[in-house]
Amino acid sequence: MSRRPGKFSKYLESMVVYGILIAASLFAIFPIVWAILTSLKQEATIFLYPPQWLPSPLTLENYIHVLYNSNMPRYFLNSLWVVFMTILLTLTLSSHGGYAAARFSFTGKNTLLFIILLTVMIPGIVVLIPLYLLATRVGLLDTYWVLILVYTAWQIPAVLWLMRGFFETIPRELEEAALMDGCSRLGAFYRIIWPLTRPGLAAAAVIVFVNVWNEFILAATLTTSDDKRLIPVGLYYYIGAYGIEWGKLMAAVCIALLPIILLFIFLQRSFIKGLSSGSVKG
Amino acid sequence: MRQMVPEVKENPENSSIKTYPGALTFLRKHIFSSKGLRDRFSAGLKKNSLPLAFLSPAVIFVLLITFLPILHAINISFYETSYLQKTEFVGFRHYWNYLQEPAGRQNILNSLIYVFGSLILAVPFGVLLATLLHRNLRFRTLFRTLIILPWVVAQLISALLWSWLINPSYGPVNYFIQLWFGFPVDFLSQPLTAMPTLILVNVWRSFPYPMLLTLAALQTIPEELLEAAKVDGASTWTRFWRITLPLIQNTLLIAIIMLSLYYFNMVTLPLVLTGGGPLGATEVISLRVYREAFNFYHIGYGSAIAIYILLFNILFSLLYIKILRTEAVC
Repeated sequence: MSRRPGKFSKYLESMVVYGILIAASLFAIFPIVWAILTSLKQEATIFLYPPQWLPSPLTLENYIHVLYNSNMPRYFLNSLWVVFMTILLTLTLSSHGGYAAARFSFTGKNTLLFIILLTVMIPGIVVLIPLYLLATRVGLLDTYWVLILVYTAWQIPAVLWLMRGFFETIPRELEEAALMDGCSRLGAFYRIIWPLTRPGLAAAAVIVFVNVWNEFILAATLTTSDDKRLIPVGLYYYIGAYGIEWGKLMAAVCIALLPIILLFIFLQRSFIKGLSSGSVKG
Repeated sequence: MRQMVPEVKENPENSSIKTYPGALTFLRKHIFSSKGLRDRFSAGLKKNSLPLAFLSPAVIFVLLITFLPILHAINISFYETSYLQKTEFVGFRHYWNYLQEPAGRQNILNSLIYVFGSLILAVPFGVLLATLLHRNLRFRTLFRTLIILPWVVAQLISALLWSWLINPSYGPVNYFIQLWFGFPVDFLSQPLTAMPTLILVNVWRSFPYPMLLTLAALQTIPEELLEAAKVDGASTWTRFWRITLPLIQNTLLIAIIMLSLYYFNMVTLPLVLTGGGPLGATEVISLRVYREAFNFYHIGYGSAIAIYILLFNILFSLLYIKILRTEAVC
């Protein structure tokens, strides 16, 4: 005899399911929501007991302070510049590499690809000390370029493999047709194939953006002067500089989160693709 | 000059060669084969020039910036250092010392607790949410978006968000604790609560990862399989343990390996949330490397500890590759 679930138990089950999902959603977003609420409060109402749940009076003074009286805009632009250059370099190098890996077979190809894949597994903390020493020796310490170069090297393996997958989905006949029509191999690549991988390039760009925007340890170690700091480093020193002014700190945190959350909401597919191919740099 | 060479080869009466019998054949063989080799090489280069030109910049870049530093780190780890200079070769002494000193053992224990504690919470939680999100639900996309959100928040920002949330004087969490228990708890300054708090924040940030992987794996399970079991009277619970779990176990294994590595290599979150304190209660191995190298400038000692981390990573990566291989065979 098989028991069929009655109407009541079905109702109960869906209650439990939705209950758990709502609780998990609250758990996931409450820290962020609390930061937003704090950032909109006046200095005095932040330190009330019991805590004031919704900000009243609502104020933007924390944001105004962060935007006009702190170095945060500078850090923001620094981060944008480093992220932009890293994306440019990473995508250029790894889309060419990915194409070669997808279309050609030559001796040692698999070994090369495997070695590249292995470097995904090398943790940042292991190479941090030698990178610091090398950067000091070649005079690149405290420059944007050292960050851009190292980030690019860290992002290439995953992105190259991702791009290789994309190139493999493009039928070879397209290139053959282009070659028949008198295109060179290079011409076929740049004019026909590359434009077709735009969705892949976009997904890769999103992954690189998030990884580089969020990275802290390397940026903290390889830059020393205040005006070279990236956003996470700026936030970290923000604590030390003024004691902790929570309202202003949370406003700065919200500003740092904004691009990532916007990207995430609008490009969720690319995100999910990238997140599951993530590396373990730590 | 060009005509001279064939002449030498063609003329066995040449005096210098005559004195060394067998030289001619040696020369012939040698010149012939190396010429052939060169030909083959340049032909190969020509044929492969495009893929080589395309692939080698990426490879060289990666090798220079990740493999070279590792050799450098191994080298430094055998030396005593003062500020950034190597002073005295000490062999394996740093490696030995780290295992001997009490703080070193404490680090190792902390790392184990941190990794296992986070895994035990994050993986089941992720799997549970994935199975729920896999159902036909209202607002499924909304739930999924909200639940994944912590994964895109930087470690540093997570640490800031949570240290404000659980602030002993003004945080909402402590408001409720005070309401129910009558006293606030300063989670981050008690050795007993600091590690669980660190783990909780880590789980908050990382559980979407096993959830996403599981969600992807669940989509590969044919619907009919579960339907058939349902018709046969298997309960939700039985269906999960007997059908779903065996089918996603490889994915789970991969998630566990990747998460272990990720947790093990983490520096930023413990550094910013607790700084390793109180009394070293949350100082994990990776954080110790950072502190030795950049707070105390013990570059040699720090590198030796970093090599331990590298070895652990290699071990786990080998496991990972093995699982990928078996999966490819299946």
